[in-house]
Amino acid sequence: MSLKVASASAVPPLLACLALLAGWEGAARVLDINGLPPAYDALRELPAILSDREALLNIAASLRRMLTGFVLALLISIPVGLAMARSPRVAALCNPLLMLIYPVPKAALMPIIMLWLGIGDASKTIVIGLGVSLPVIYHSYQGARAIEEKLIWSAAAMGMRPAARLLRIVLPAALPQIFVGIRTGLVLALITMVTSEMIARQAGVGSILFNALDMAQYASVYAMIVIIGVLGFVLDLLFERLRAKLVAWAEPSHDIAVGTA
Amino acid sequence: MSAERTWQIVLGMLPPVCLIALWHGIATAGWAPAALLPLPSAVFARLFEQLHNPVFLQHAATTLFRLFAGFGIAVVVGVMLGIAAAGSRRLEALLRPLLRVLAPVPKIALYPALVLILGFEHASKVALVVADAVFPILLATYQGAATVEPKLVWSARAAGASPRRTLLTVVLPAALPAILTGCRIGLVISSIVVFLAEMLTSTDGLGHLLIYASRSFQTVDMFVPLITISLLGLLLNAAINALQKRLLAGFPDAG
Repeated sequence: MSLKVASASAVPPLLACLALLAGWEGAARVLDINGLPPAYDALRELPAILSDREALLNIAASLRRMLTGFVLALLISIPVGLAMARSPRVAALCNPLLMLIYPVPKAALMPIIMLWLGIGDASKTIVIGLGVSLPVIYHSYQGARAIEEKLIWSAAAMGMRPAARLLRIVLPAALPQIFVGIRTGLVLALITMVTSEMIARQAGVGSILFNALDMAQYASVYAMIVIIGVLGFVLDLLFERLRAKLVAWAEPSHDIAVGTA
Repeated sequence: MSAERTWQIVLGMLPPVCLIALWHGIATAGWAPAALLPLPSAVFARLFEQLHNPVFLQHAATTLFRLFAGFGIAVVVGVMLGIAAAGSRRLEALLRPLLRVLAPVPKIALYPALVLILGFEHASKVALVVADAVFPILLATYQGAATVEPKLVWSARAAGASPRRTLLTVVLPAALPAILTGCRIGLVISSIVVFLAEMLTSTDGLGHLLIYASRSFQTVDMFVPLITISLLGLLLNAAINALQKRLLAGFPDAG
């Protein structure tokens, strides 16, 4: 039963990928310009990139930074979101600041933070964490705010302490919404990771991409884009699987990740 | 009630004011040289000065042009596809897998390809803005249109309206709150993305000013474009909020 559902939902995205590749191949043949090599040429570069030790180390280092920033942001953002929902004072304190931070291009902070912390991992991790935190705070806040108050009253009437109420009632009830925020955060972590590396131009996936562009290795540019695209899709897919296991009792969330830039 | 509201506003002002005070404190205490962390007053004075500088305004206008060109295309494409997908099962079945694959892909990674295909001028940046802004608008429109009260659609159809007319005169207005929310998110994304694209490869625009300043170690001038684009995003966000309030004055759950 579950296998059937899984395979049924995997076919359309596969078809979509094939359609995109076919469209790319067709456009390349029709336009016939240097800047758009056919899909086949780009895909032929993939084994070379994926067997190159240097490139693999760079990809691994990028993913490590991304996950560090992502996890750090979760550890801070979820408690902040929950606290905002349970205390109007905390909400009044945080809301305007969050509203001010919202339209700031986080990856654009890279040159400034690099002045202070250097070009290494710390700057990139901080920028990634900043990029992830807002949607996670927002969804934790919304999730915890929508809790049936009676649940909390009943727990209080039965003598549960505030800290325990937060951990055993508010957190589980808000979990489905928190996961929506984490999913957006994961996509944003990847976006911020790639962008910050493109700006810093020193190591990582984003800098390989731009170096290939500078050296006019067009097929490699497109192969890197494919690698980053697949990373985004696979990370999102894996997370959806995990989410479905952890909060199986909740209604399924939307099957399309919303959250860009 | 009113005292409570003032108290809330005071509380909300606290963190930004404290941050700026902390920044001022660190800068004046000499812990950080001015080349690394300029005084906040110096940054804001420079921002004010630049707002009267025609060269700076020219760069800002370039950025705004790219922003609105991309956002405009994204709104037209996103709303049309979203409404059409809500009206047609076949189109929906076609679009859904494509969106599932494309939505979690970092669009910024496409930028080098867009530069190769469309060149270093406006077109590649506008295209990137479209690629990033179209998804939230399309998804919000589709969700809004797909959840329109079916009785409204049935009544319109029973009264003799054609499917297309129903889509335009019943579904589209009913989906308006969702569409505007999608547009608000898309607009902020547009302003962020256009700035990042200009930082990556550009010879003009606000993003270019930041990179230019960072290459010549003019720290004050690095802060100014960043603050400008953030304020711009904030203003655009507020503008759509105001538009939403105005347009949706009759809706039951406006806001």
